[in-house]
Amino acid sequence: MKESVASRTVFILLLFLTTSLLNGQSPPGKPEILKCRSPEKETFTCWWKPGDDGGLPTNYTLTYHKEGETLTHECPDYITSGPNSCYFNKKHTSIWTMYIITINATNQMGSSSSDPRYVDVTYIVEPDPPVNLTLELKQPEDKKPYLWMKWYPPTLVDVRSGWLTLQYEIRLKPKKATEWETHFAGQQTQFKILSLYPGQKYLVQVRCKPDHGFWSEWSPESSIQIPNDVTMKDTIVWIFVAVLSAVICLIMVVAVALKGHSMVTCILPPVPGPKIKGFDTHLLEKGKSEELLSALGCQDFPPTSDCEDLLVEFLEVDDSEDQQLMPAHPKEHPGQERKPTPLDPDSDSGRGSCDSPSLLSKKCEEARADPSAFNTPKSVEKPENPQTNVTYTWGSRSTSSEGKIPYFAAGGFKSSTWPLPQPPSQHSPRSSYHNIADVCKLNMGTAGASATLLDKTDTRALRSSKTTETGGEEKAAEQREVESFHSKTDQDTPWLLPQEKTPLISVRPLDYVEIHKVNKDGALSLLPKQKENSGQAEKPSTPEASKEYAKVSRVMDNNILVLVQEPRAQNLASFEEPAKEAAPSHQQNQAEEDLASFTSAPSGCGLQRAGLDYLDPTCFMHSFQ
Amino acid sequence: MDNKGWSLKGSLLLLLLLVSDLLLCQSVASLPICPSGAVNCQVSLRDLFDRAVILSHYIHNLSSEMFNEFDKRYAQGRGFITKAINSCHTSSLSTPEDKEQAQQIHHEDLLNLILRVLRSWNDPLYHLVTEVRGMQEAPDAILSRAIEIEEQNRRLLEGMEKIVGQVHPGIRENEVYSVWSGLPSLQMADEDTRLFAFYNLLHCLRRDSHKIDNYLKLLKCRIVYDSNC
Repeated sequence: MKESVASRTVFILLLFLTTSLLNGQSPPGKPEILKCRSPEKETFTCWWKPGDDGGLPTNYTLTYHKEGETLTHECPDYITSGPNSCYFNKKHTSIWTMYIITINATNQMGSSSSDPRYVDVTYIVEPDPPVNLTLELKQPEDKKPYLWMKWYPPTLVDVRSGWLTLQYEIRLKPKKATEWETHFAGQQTQFKILSLYPGQKYLVQVRCKPDHGFWSEWSPESSIQIPNDVTMKDTIVWIFVAVLSAVICLIMVVAVALKGHSMVTCILPPVPGPKIKGFDTHLLEKGKSEELLSALGCQDFPPTSDCEDLLVEFLEVDDSEDQQLMPAHPKEHPGQERKPTPLDPDSDSGRGSCDSPSLLSKKCEEARADPSAFNTPKSVEKPENPQTNVTYTWGSRSTSSEGKIPYFAAGGFKSSTWPLPQPPSQHSPRSSYHNIADVCKLNMGTAGASATLLDKTDTRALRSSKTTETGGEEKAAEQREVESFHSKTDQDTPWLLPQEKTPLISVRPLDYVEIHKVNKDGALSLLPKQKENSGQAEKPSTPEASKEYAKVSRVMDNNILVLVQEPRAQNLASFEEPAKEAAPSHQQNQAEEDLASFTSAPSGCGLQRAGLDYLDPTCFMHSFQ
Repeated sequence: MDNKGWSLKGSLLLLLLLVSDLLLCQSVASLPICPSGAVNCQVSLRDLFDRAVILSHYIHNLSSEMFNEFDKRYAQGRGFITKAINSCHTSSLSTPEDKEQAQQIHHEDLLNLILRVLRSWNDPLYHLVTEVRGMQEAPDAILSRAIEIEEQNRRLLEGMEKIVGQVHPGIRENEVYSVWSGLPSLQMADEDTRLFAFYNLLHCLRRDSHKIDNYLKLLKCRIVYDSNC
């Protein structure tokens, strides 16, 4: 029996299956409860999702039973909350009670049930959004305007009795912004926003949350336009201010344009350039050296008292131990305030002019405290004790050397006046001489006056050396100095050629020509060039033969001295015979002219050289002789 | 009596002040503090209710968090919820089940009911703390909250007694409460049984703390604000 029943049921089932398969119909799929929500903790709704309906119209029912009860109830209201929902009204809602809810799907083929869902209304409260959100822009006097907003709790929620306690949250943003600005408002139903961007349209939303539930949805957006805070009056004021300032600027620009130069000079006074008494740069540019030098006021050679003053003011010569120039000229030093600092080997002793690379007498380094050494004073403005000593030494020397020590180029070199930079490696005595040479070379440049002065000093020194030639060691040393000076001169190079090229003097060993003597007329008497190691007490070979003087009348072509032809200088056949320049022409200029005239000597001397060449006086010695 | 009352009042006030800092999102009106020993210091009913509500709200938050923590950690997939039906020891107390019922109850009765529920939880909370401590890998989140709830519950009880003393001075009902007998279950060797006992206890605690909170808020709005919160 049982077997037949079993087989029969199996047969029926198979029949159903085949029919359903044949027809494409099946019992409904399993429904699923999506969510249950209570808006006010007094009612609640459950929504479900139907499963596959199996191709047949399917009926869904919701059944539930409550905690502590055995009865199973069906959903009281399928309609109020929409399709696939069940609405439990107040009568059917119990708080703090568990509901066990099940959805049943039934169709012709069969039915299916969802999994039971355990729902406690206490924990599914999600209210509606707040209502009646109003925005108002309040503008108290003398204060910034602020946004005041007010809303009301959702209509269904009973807040007055305390059944539900709501907390609110608002958010706002300018219409074009992307991020919301959220504020928690607590339990109050109004809020103030103080930081607002003027001229923007703001959107505001509010939502609420029960004390132990879920946040509601955001309320619909409310918008408000914030007016610009710049009133018409302010705009006019700003326009007025702008126009006024523009007018003022215009006036100032015009004033500057018209009187700009004078204003600038008033504010920034021009830096005074170097000024040499009687020196006219224009003449230099034109190349009229004669006029230039005459303008400077030095007429004769050797220098007169005027030039001495100039010399004092501007020149500064240094000396090393090698250089020894015996004191000679008595009339030179009185009143000269040169203050030699021979004992100060430190080149930073303040003799700025000496130390600057542009300075000629880079060899301003003081000699050792060699009393016998001819220490050239460094700078006028450095009266130091050593200087005093040296002065004394000089004095002593002068007495001993039966002559007066010529104060050698006590004037400080103003580096600005001596654009010739000298390599510092050269010996100071030589440098001093060299400086003279350079100065002479720069005669065409700007340092004409100083060069002349230096030349004067040099000549003086040379003269002194000459006079003390017959002296003792000192004299010999000096002579050696002179000789060394002489020997330094390049054999084939002309001496003291002015150069119109760069003021830079190349570091070439200098040769010096011993000046035999210099007479009042400014003629240099040169001694023949001696060998370097020719000894100390050498006498010039032809001391007397060189007693030829030539006055330099002018300089030509930057490297030719035009000499005045005098009866004594007859041997200088190649010399031109220009008229003698005016008295105030610079000594150095004359000297240079002399030398330049040497250059015009026969080329057999091999003298002609471009640039910084020195005359080889030996050539001239020949000519002299 | 007076000394004890004043000391209780003072300690309650101090506690409430401290607790007010811990509560979330609850704006608390500034509460005047009665210096200990002050004779005429009287905390208004409004302040008492405000503090009580703060406490009850806080306790429920803690309970809810504790339950969620336990559920997440221990009760996944065990189907405890299906068994935790009608298993709270306080169900014998006839508490209102919806708003209408709650509003129909007289506030004195409601106050007493609150007291009963609070008292019913003294014992279980104490044992809960002990047993959670004894659990292997005692989760600190659950333990700390259990300790806190127990303490706050005591404070709330004191506060409620204060309120009752003000609302109904002189009436002192017998201390009625439900007896909790779930301790053996908490100490069962079987882990599943034990865990379910914990789950059930925490589930009931969450529900009852919500009830207390709700009733107190109803009473506050009714008594203090005349149903116009």
